[in-house]
Amino acid sequence: MIPLRFRAELPPIEEPLVVRLRDRPTDDFHDDREAALIGIAEGWREYDFNGFSLRIEAEPGQSLDGDVVLAFPGRPIVHRLIRARSHHNTFLVTERCDQLCLMCSQPPKQVHLDLFAQFGQAALLAPVGATIGISGGEPLLFKEQIFALIGNTLSVRPDLRFHVLTNAQHFDSEDGPFLHGRARDRVLWGIPLYAPDAADHDAIVVKDGAFARLFQSVATLAKAGAQIELRTVVTRRNAALLPRLARLIATELPFCTSWALMQLEPIGFGRMNWDTLFHDNSVDFGPVARALNIALARDIDVALYNFPLCTIPEEYRTYAPSTISDWKQKYLETCQGCSLKTRCGGFFEWYDPDRGFARVGLE
Amino acid sequence: MNVWPLRFTDVGRDALLFCDEAGGFFRSDDAFLERYANDILTEADRDFLLAGGHSFEEEGDRHHVGFAARWAKRQFVPGPLEYIILVPTLRCDLACRYCQVSRVNANARGFDWNEATLNAVLALIDSLTSERIKIEFQGGEPLLRLDLLSRVRDFCRRRFRSAEFVVCTNLQKVSEEAWAFLAAADTFVSTSFDGDALTHTRQRTLDPAQTATFLSNLERAMTTLGTGKVSALPTIDPDNPPAPDAIIAGFARLGLRSIYLRPVNYHGFARKRFGQGDQQLWNAYYDRFIDALIAYNAHAAEPMEEFYFTHCLRRIFRAGHHGHVDMRNPNILGADYLVIDHDGTLYPTDEARMMTRIGQMDLSIGSVFGGLDQEKLQILNANSDNNFHEDCGQCVFQPFCGVDVIDDLSRYGRIDLSRHETAFCRRHTALFTRIFELIYTDDAATRRSLAAWLGVPAFDPALAPVHK
Repeated sequence: MIPLRFRAELPPIEEPLVVRLRDRPTDDFHDDREAALIGIAEGWREYDFNGFSLRIEAEPGQSLDGDVVLAFPGRPIVHRLIRARSHHNTFLVTERCDQLCLMCSQPPKQVHLDLFAQFGQAALLAPVGATIGISGGEPLLFKEQIFALIGNTLSVRPDLRFHVLTNAQHFDSEDGPFLHGRARDRVLWGIPLYAPDAADHDAIVVKDGAFARLFQSVATLAKAGAQIELRTVVTRRNAALLPRLARLIATELPFCTSWALMQLEPIGFGRMNWDTLFHDNSVDFGPVARALNIALARDIDVALYNFPLCTIPEEYRTYAPSTISDWKQKYLETCQGCSLKTRCGGFFEWYDPDRGFARVGLE
Repeated sequence: MNVWPLRFTDVGRDALLFCDEAGGFFRSDDAFLERYANDILTEADRDFLLAGGHSFEEEGDRHHVGFAARWAKRQFVPGPLEYIILVPTLRCDLACRYCQVSRVNANARGFDWNEATLNAVLALIDSLTSERIKIEFQGGEPLLRLDLLSRVRDFCRRRFRSAEFVVCTNLQKVSEEAWAFLAAADTFVSTSFDGDALTHTRQRTLDPAQTATFLSNLERAMTTLGTGKVSALPTIDPDNPPAPDAIIAGFARLGLRSIYLRPVNYHGFARKRFGQGDQQLWNAYYDRFIDALIAYNAHAAEPMEEFYFTHCLRRIFRAGHHGHVDMRNPNILGADYLVIDHDGTLYPTDEARMMTRIGQMDLSIGSVFGGLDQEKLQILNANSDNNFHEDCGQCVFQPFCGVDVIDDLSRYGRIDLSRHETAFCRRHTALFTRIFELIYTDDAATRRSLAAWLGVPAFDPALAPVHK
């Protein structure tokens, strides 16, 4: 696993610190926001931050050049908010949520630590052309702050993009101007839709009225020309409904940019409810295949996320890009020498082969 | 509940095909039609219509928004001009039977761009707002003026972020310089191959030795340039067509997977003589060809397609499928693509160029020296959509179909004929009827071909909804 935090010795700070690490000062080096490497000794890297010392313990092979880290006063740790060499950088802006999805990988908590100011500073230090993920919890419980974060960042850094995961319970028609403005071409809204009818969807997200409210939000997004990514975690609870869901998306949501059918992530509630939720597509790929065929024929850009290539029939593998984030990705012993390994996303770090796919590995 | 207007047509065996204005379709029967017409829909009818996107509960609900989005996507909105067909020379070293107007002899004079025309063409290209461009070199035989092609290509590569070039060549005489030119990654070859050597000789080269030269050049193109960079189109004489199997085998042998069948394009007097009679003959042949494709694909590792059939099939399932200039609605002329002739005259389409050249009707729309004739374009474009035409408004295929003002003018000298009397309408009515027949054919071979043509692993039965 790629480390997302390191032990550190901090300069004297009173506020949370956001700083970009550089292996050497660049021409446009910013003293107040960047720290330059001045030495490495015994696993510790020493940075010069405005005349103060910042020390970070990291394996020799780890590149930290261009990374943006966050530190809190009195805590000897830095968090890697942005890894310059990764396409998977996500700000977890809150752990609160107003849904309680059966398979949630990040179960909600009531406490909320407000770090919007720090996320704002970090975004401005992101590599050129980067996409920043925003996730939770439900980010739009703090809609005002999220809109401000996105709007302010894009006004200074029009090269960046945002990918916001939201349950779409909070958009109103008054959001039109924001959505239609700078955000329109730069923000992808990732919205979970689990079933083609209110009863099933509401039961899966454990919230009455969620389905209807989602469509109300989506209409607002559609009218603004916003980019929408629909996300459906495939479970035993909804697998049989997928063909109908595909038809509904092609018919009622033809303006969505893409549709992701996602395998279950064995963490959080997903781990807790694994035995009742995990749909083993290596045994029964039928409903997934039907959903794909219906959506593709009708021009919905559909893809399979988090499906190991060997668990799906050959003619469908082209629709399964490698999607498991690098820092939580692993390969099994079976994967050694597999001819598809380079384009396969492998497995989640916390995947348990004993409770997982019945068939793994190419024939 | 509000049901969107449904059009319908009898498709035989007690079945009716229904379609709404956004292209949502289903099969049902007379009993449903009775209930629909008399407004006595059952609960099951209502559920079916709502799930299929043919109705809505109230304005702004998800059914309503979905319908509006699909309807809007069906309307073609031209982007900026970024596709230009250039005719740097009208000279050609072949004299194909049916090419009566768009060529002159290889040694003729005064049918090539001069320096002033070239500069004006480049100036026009330079004035475009798009960041990408596609140039198609037509003729005549464009390889006779490799020097002009090179200058245009060099200019476009410098000027645009992305540029793509298609050389429409007879592949008859290809110099080593020409092969080097065609080998570039951004340059593609489009040629004519009438399906088999005999037909190709009869219709084009008139000499078996010439045909052999062509075929060896085509093979060289396929092997050295790559199958993805070469396309070949057969021209079919409906009075004397090659057997479909022969064409399919000929193309498959060369590694070509897409066949764009074109009927001989008669002009002037020839069209008056053949114009009406050949439509039925053509439709019958086309039907047989599709049958042959389905039979071939049932056992082939690499499926084959007829390009236009595939395009129209995809238009049925995909509201935003506007990628072919011959079939879209509205078919706005002189906007996103343009033809520039050997003398710098501008035309909306290649057919408009030919009509003008034989003196049938002046359909030029300006010149590289003076710019576009907007007034004339407005007249042509006033009738470029089928949405509100009284005949099309009754037609179940309207959302998938288009219009071709130039074809109507070319055949009849007018655009106000009843649609059913036009070749365009007859051809497309037959085509869409056939496609829907296949969509509702429950047979493994047919579904295998449909899947291949739609570019999906399998054709799901839910794509062919039926309501009883």
